[in-house]
Amino acid sequence: MNLHRRKHAFLLLILAATFLFLIIIIGFLCKDAAMETDFVRKNQSPSFRYPFGTDWMGRDMFARTAAGLSMSIRLGLFTATISAVIAFMLGSIAAVMGKAADAFIGWLIDLMLGIPHILLLILISFACGKGVRGVVIGVLCTHWMSLARVIRGEVLQLKQSGYVQAAAKLGTSKGKIITIHMLPHLIPQFMTGLILLFPHAILHEAGITFLGFGLPPEQPAIGVILSESIRYLLTGSWWLAVFPGVSLVLVVILFDYIGSMTRRLLDPASVHE
Amino acid sequence: MKKHFALAACLMLLTTLTGCGKQAENSDVSGPNNNQNNSKDSVIIVMGVTSEPEAGFDPAYGWGAGEHVHEPLIQSTLTVTTNDLQIAYDLATDISVSDDGLLWTVKIREDVFFTDGEKLTAEDVAFTYNTVKEESSVNDFTMLDRAEATDDYTVEFHMAKPYSIWPYTMAIVGIVPSHAYGPDYGLNPIGSGRYMLKQWDKGQQVILEANPDYYGDKILMKKVTIVFMEEEAAFAAVKAGQVDLAYTAASYSDQTVEGYELLRVESVDNRGFNLPAIPSGEGIGNDVTSDIAVRKAINIGIDRQRMIDNVLNGYGTPAYSVCDKMPWFNADTMVEYDFEQAVTLLEEAGWIAGEDGIRSKDGLKAKINLLYPANDSVRQALAAEAANQMKELGIAVTMEGVGWDVAYDRAQSEPMIWGWGAHTPMEFYNIYHTMPETGLAEYSPYSNEASDSYMDQALACGKLEESYGLWQKAQWDGNTGTAEDVPWVWLVNIDHLYWVKENLQVAQQKIHPHGHGWSIVNNVDQWSFEQ
Repeated sequence: MNLHRRKHAFLLLILAATFLFLIIIIGFLCKDAAMETDFVRKNQSPSFRYPFGTDWMGRDMFARTAAGLSMSIRLGLFTATISAVIAFMLGSIAAVMGKAADAFIGWLIDLMLGIPHILLLILISFACGKGVRGVVIGVLCTHWMSLARVIRGEVLQLKQSGYVQAAAKLGTSKGKIITIHMLPHLIPQFMTGLILLFPHAILHEAGITFLGFGLPPEQPAIGVILSESIRYLLTGSWWLAVFPGVSLVLVVILFDYIGSMTRRLLDPASVHE
Repeated sequence: MKKHFALAACLMLLTTLTGCGKQAENSDVSGPNNNQNNSKDSVIIVMGVTSEPEAGFDPAYGWGAGEHVHEPLIQSTLTVTTNDLQIAYDLATDISVSDDGLLWTVKIREDVFFTDGEKLTAEDVAFTYNTVKEESSVNDFTMLDRAEATDDYTVEFHMAKPYSIWPYTMAIVGIVPSHAYGPDYGLNPIGSGRYMLKQWDKGQQVILEANPDYYGDKILMKKVTIVFMEEEAAFAAVKAGQVDLAYTAASYSDQTVEGYELLRVESVDNRGFNLPAIPSGEGIGNDVTSDIAVRKAINIGIDRQRMIDNVLNGYGTPAYSVCDKMPWFNADTMVEYDFEQAVTLLEEAGWIAGEDGIRSKDGLKAKINLLYPANDSVRQALAAEAANQMKELGIAVTMEGVGWDVAYDRAQSEPMIWGWGAHTPMEFYNIYHTMPETGLAEYSPYSNEASDSYMDQALACGKLEESYGLWQKAQWDGNTGTAEDVPWVWLVNIDHLYWVKENLQVAQQKIHPHGHGWSIVNNVDQWSFEQ
């Protein structure tokens, strides 16, 4: 509608991204503090010194939460990017390479979507020896399908569009058609899909770690923190679950927000709003 | 998009819900026995979920005689261990052993019946032992060649090798009836012990009822209900006042619950870590811990009491061996915490502190990766405290949680936090004695010929009482011994903690072995409620 709204969206987007970036930095700086145990200060409720309190081994929960979120975000960024690239490649191959490839990739997508997400994730992570490697491979293998399907549909549609047909008739090579004519059109879809994969990846990382199939317990990870906190809720240590839980939700919402802002800014349908 | 918000919302809800768990806990726990039938002869006890016997109440599959030893309750045993871990008789009336230690002759009571009315004879005893020798996958019976009933009330054990501590094995093997034993015995156990299995709801509870024809002391507690719960559920059940006794952990010990008292039972349920005693090579050994100075320095440089106060809220005792307070423990092997001496030891051996405070010797950094079982928070905390204390000595320690699938292999080259403690010297043997195939001990590479020889002598020794002295010499004979070599550093014996209804009188407990489960009910028949 007016430029003001667009500017507004852009500013918010920058702000949200900066905030997430800040968490990564803080988490990096807190890495050593997060591992440090000091039994003198165990089970302290939130205070000025330890804003998120301390746990049963006297670890600073703020440092642990920040380090955990930072790791989650980095893991999320990494896995989401790779997943999106896989999705992009498979999606376009399915659409461009003819019937057989399409049928095969369609079958693969259906197969992977047919198995419950978390189950597959647990299996893969466990088979890869858990830890960071298990989580990364697990998330990579389970998050590309939906986006691949969207890209495939989009490419199929583009193939039929007038300007692509015209380019083909004019003798433009297939590679050129993809890179020059199709790619720019796909970027908004791709970017939005990519960013919307982050929260998914982060939640699943926390999920399988919570269930004990992900990162090891000495790592400061949100899943570890939340599963440990269960034991201490009954004894009144509410801060062990609440702050890390809320922080995780906040990060996920921020990513989601960034995703929708990006779409608004990039998607031709809403770009002039 | 919507989905993500839904997910986020769910999580938010979850965290807020758990956040106010304090108000919710009273309502959301519905124990299996809500009606408070605390008449004076029935008791409800909570144990951990891992205490439920997976294969049922069959001694051949680990009931009583498994990884965690306890009295089998449903079955009788030939002997029992007393409160000071000496041997007394249950079914047996006389035990003798031949001079070469290869033939044990046991006479048994003549007035004992199984709960199906059949008489218990020597035949049943021989059948039981031959069966557990054949079947048992959890306990080692290779020292037994065969058992034989010579008449109705005399049984002979022909041993494959001398085994002086056989009476300790006799204290955990429940006698099963030869006429009623089959593949489903674990589900329908018939015995001659104090209790009969009345009901077993798998995954939930076991109900035991007193055996009306029991030959021994009068059974005061007629009905025993055992409920299996996770630690936090057990504590919630206590707060709701639904149970009479529930196991708990040190992390709950600073709480107070109205109507309940915290019962602390001393244990030999120890925690310690191994220090591979040979240099690294071929996947086993460790170059840092193979230096005896390092091992000794760690042993005297760890303040065990500080560890107990920090990690266990004071509920524990310092551990100096795998068998503290047992008759076969050598009290001379206890060490004093001496930080200065530990530092001196390290420096004399050439471990010099660098700028970062970490010692090194000939370019080798004093670095240790300490493993712990990933699902055990107490061992994790012990590892963290040990790491902090070793850092003060100038030894850098990293921690790593591992699963049991890899733990045994990795402990061959890296220290790992273990838990042991049993009512038999055989455990000491299993940990320190070398295996013939490798010439090294099973769980952590180490060998000492003199100690091996003492242990062999102890097993071959005719008299149990005399063998205690030999076990002690294996630990320290004035010159050498396992305590001198320090292939293991023992940290703490963890007190077993229970919430107990104020009016419940729990009979005196013998020192509990490893396993925070069935040991507490060893003498449940003698418990009572104060009026």
